[in-house]
Amino acid sequence: MENKVLTVCPYCGSGCQLYLLVENGQVVGAEPADGRTNEGNLCLKGHYGWDFLNDPQLLTSRLRKPMIRKEGVLQEVSWEEAIGFTAEKLNAIKEKYGPDAIMGTGSARGPGNEANYVMQKFMRAVIGTNNIDHCARVCHGPSVAGLTYSLGDGAMSNSIPEIENTDLLLIFGYNAAVTHPIVARRIVKAKQKGAVLIVADPRKTESARIADTWLPLKGGTNMALVNAFGHVLIEEELYDKDYVSNFVQGFDEYKANVEKYTPEYAERITGVRAADIRKVMRQYAKSGKAMILYGMGVCQFAQAVDVVKGLASLALLTGHFGRESVGIGPVRGQNNVQGSCDMGALPNVYPGYQSVEDAKIRKKFEKAWGTSLPDKTGYRLTEVPHLILKENKIKAYYIFGEDPVQSDPNAAELREALDQLELVIVQDIFMNKTALHADVILPATSWGEHDGVYSSADRGFQRIRKAIDPPGEVKPDWQIISEVSTAMGYPMAYKNSEEIWDEMRKLCPSFAGASYSKMEALGGVQWPCPSEDHPGTPYLYQGNRFTTPSGKGQLFACEWRAPLEQPDDEYPLTLSTVREVGHYSVRTMTGNCRALSQLSDEPGNIQISLEDAAEHGIADGQLVQVYSRRGHIMARAQVSGRIKKGATYMTYHFWIGACNELTVDYLDPVSKTPEFKYCAVRIEAISDQAQAEALVRKQYAELRKQMLVGAVPE
Amino acid sequence: MNHAASNSLVIAEAAKCIGCKACELACFAVHNRDNGVGTAVGTVTMPVLPRLYVIRTDSFTMPVQCRQCENAPCAGACPVQAIRQQDGVIAIDAEACIGCKACALACPFGAISLYKAYSGGAELPQPLLQERRDSRLQRKTRITAYKCDLCRNTELPGGSAAGEGAGGRGSSAAAAQDRNPFPACVAVCPEKALRLVEAGTGRSRSLNREGGTF
Ligand code: SF4
Ligand code: SF4
Ligand code: SF4
Repeated sequence: MENKVLTVCPYCGSGCQLYLLVENGQVVGAEPADGRTNEGNLCLKGHYGWDFLNDPQLLTSRLRKPMIRKEGVLQEVSWEEAIGFTAEKLNAIKEKYGPDAIMGTGSARGPGNEANYVMQKFMRAVIGTNNIDHCARVCHGPSVAGLTYSLGDGAMSNSIPEIENTDLLLIFGYNAAVTHPIVARRIVKAKQKGAVLIVADPRKTESARIADTWLPLKGGTNMALVNAFGHVLIEEELYDKDYVSNFVQGFDEYKANVEKYTPEYAERITGVRAADIRKVMRQYAKSGKAMILYGMGVCQFAQAVDVVKGLASLALLTGHFGRESVGIGPVRGQNNVQGSCDMGALPNVYPGYQSVEDAKIRKKFEKAWGTSLPDKTGYRLTEVPHLILKENKIKAYYIFGEDPVQSDPNAAELREALDQLELVIVQDIFMNKTALHADVILPATSWGEHDGVYSSADRGFQRIRKAIDPPGEVKPDWQIISEVSTAMGYPMAYKNSEEIWDEMRKLCPSFAGASYSKMEALGGVQWPCPSEDHPGTPYLYQGNRFTTPSGKGQLFACEWRAPLEQPDDEYPLTLSTVREVGHYSVRTMTGNCRALSQLSDEPGNIQISLEDAAEHGIADGQLVQVYSRRGHIMARAQVSGRIKKGATYMTYHFWIGACNELTVDYLDPVSKTPEFKYCAVRIEAISDQAQAEALVRKQYAELRKQMLVGAVPE
Repeated sequence: MNHAASNSLVIAEAAKCIGCKACELACFAVHNRDNGVGTAVGTVTMPVLPRLYVIRTDSFTMPVQCRQCENAPCAGACPVQAIRQQDGVIAIDAEACIGCKACALACPFGAISLYKAYSGGAELPQPLLQERRDSRLQRKTRITAYKCDLCRNTELPGGSAAGEGAGGRGSSAAAAQDRNPFPACVAVCPEKALRLVEAGTGRSRSLNREGGTF
């Protein structure tokens, strides 16, 4: 009997709806559904990315039973023992060092919003700390911080379908073709409908290829370019004076700050022609509807928050807000990174972006949760290694649905930090690099095996549904956390995910009306949705009322700072981390999909320019060694005419070619997001390719063994 | 009729293609439904071998595939007549193919590749040839030419059938039984960058009127 289950794709933030085809309790296919954002389309991950549910053990194996490290070795134990051990250890550490010695993460991936709600509640109400954060810190943290400052909400101001009806798209540091193929579809359609396409990116991405104007700026010079944009708007009086005087604050200061960024001055820094800077700003200011889309090329720099505010300022100066098909879109990378932010898996806000420092709000949550709550902002994820190694402040780390050893910068330092902790709890679906350092492993259900809600990149709540029964003895994430909580003396007894969702809605005014039944009826609901009879909000700031404390948009500009680690004689090239279309994040899911893993497999690629390849005697497809001040790895050279001399790019999906062995842990001072997009490296050709290939195969085999591949499932 | 009916073909629009390779996977999946690949690509035990290739140069990205040439040079080059015109498609008989590479060399578009042949998800052995592998003499795997065969009227993996404006098709329970009017690559492309140019319709008909020979 074939059965179809409507759900949402677990990969990028496009939020595509699809049907899982189920036969005899096994997923056997996927089929596009007519979702709001995807309209019957899927990218290759949506079509072929469900295979990991069958646990083919290509890269790593499914976690099926709880495990505890005994005498240095992870051993399978009963749930009772695992929960008891975890609760006891956490209580002891809390007792001895205080609640702030414990750190927890949310999960921006498969678990969904309800599990994130329960996790942040657990950290706040049970542990008694605001030390909860998640991987948004290493991606769109600057968007949350920057846009909250400028506009009030740290999310896309418009919705994905609106992209195709705009008159002009300014795409900044965002490679939609690879990160969000279904958003790329809207960009292609906008272009076909006559929109002007402007792309600022050091690489000739697919959008740059079809753009009207491509601004190939030098890596790490974003702020200079954005300031020059602002300069042109003011100098040529292209900005909307009425709009600025009515709805915007901080004009004089802004003007003074961008004064010196003439296009000619910016050209010297960025390499973008002054004439192009003027041309695109004239087009941007004059177009009836213009939208800015940006991504990691903006956020993963140590000056990211400033640039986010700078981009928002361009839209504020020209009045591109409060209507359809205008605004600014930080397009979220992982399927539920918007959702984990929505659910308060952040150190400074409760669910619904309500400040932990606001006494009235805190009182509301204290009353609802029947406990007293901490009032100061917790630690950020990226500060954790430092807090452990240098300040000796964190003793236990509850890592939920994340693999920081693979996804965070400077992997060697992170491993050292994990090994110094008294307790590392890993809750996940697959064995991964972080789990190798765990004291206890709690195996959870996967996408496809549980119910819940995801938030798409454009604030759309959508239901995910259980299609098959999980393997082994795994449990839903919210249930595991509830059991630990109960064992620690704070009973949690949710019956299902809807009950959790309803508790959350009562506490969050902007989500209050988004009930399961409304999502069922409408296919999804975009927040804010304050009441049951409210249909949801496709675009924000209607009537040009911003959600900042003053109700006005805030302009912002500041001096450009060069990235920290500059190339030198020893490390003459720059490295930027990127993604590739067939894989996702730390690859435990797509790497276990046969078709996707065959399309591209270990050790992963390093993209280099024709010039640098020739200089080092490297041919396309050869294995090379890559060195930075923090480590070295092997990768396969991908020689490309689209890469500028001096720059290299690596995807962070691969385990042998793990670029985070190389990256620098230098952080944006506000959002604490690392400078993944810029560090110095050196490439060396390998003369004996046959031996290198053999070494990669050997390393891969060893790694898979560590990941319990081949261990017989029950 | 003063002109011959021309073969259909799939063409790509570089201005829409984003290089995502969904078409490559769909092509592979549709050709291997009965080859140990199950209902979808998910259970595959062999390499992914598509019949179209996404190429990416400095200035463009798009898949290249067989044009179903009227006077197919590949057929002319084939010493064993394994390439025939069949129902408006230039088709390769994989069993007759001797893997001599003449067709691949003759193709002006690079649309033909030679790969190992598979049956039931496993490599198909060459009956007589042996080769030294892992320091042992073993049967060599058969090699055969692969190219686009327009794969129409097949059932798509997962039973989905697509086309412009076919939103909501997933909800129809009958879809799985439907024969798909589009080749797999056309159906799956999220950017609608691929188009089936039908024999004697649309653009090719206007070409027929103007040129008379196409
Ligand atoms: S990965 Fe993203 S674009 Fe592709 S199907 Fe899933 S949600 Fe859609
Ligand atoms: S599926 Fe479409 S967009 Fe993707 S590579 Fe193929 S032709 Fe291009
Ligand atoms: S028409 Fe069919 S065989 Fe030809 S490239 Fe497309 S999917 Fe492959």
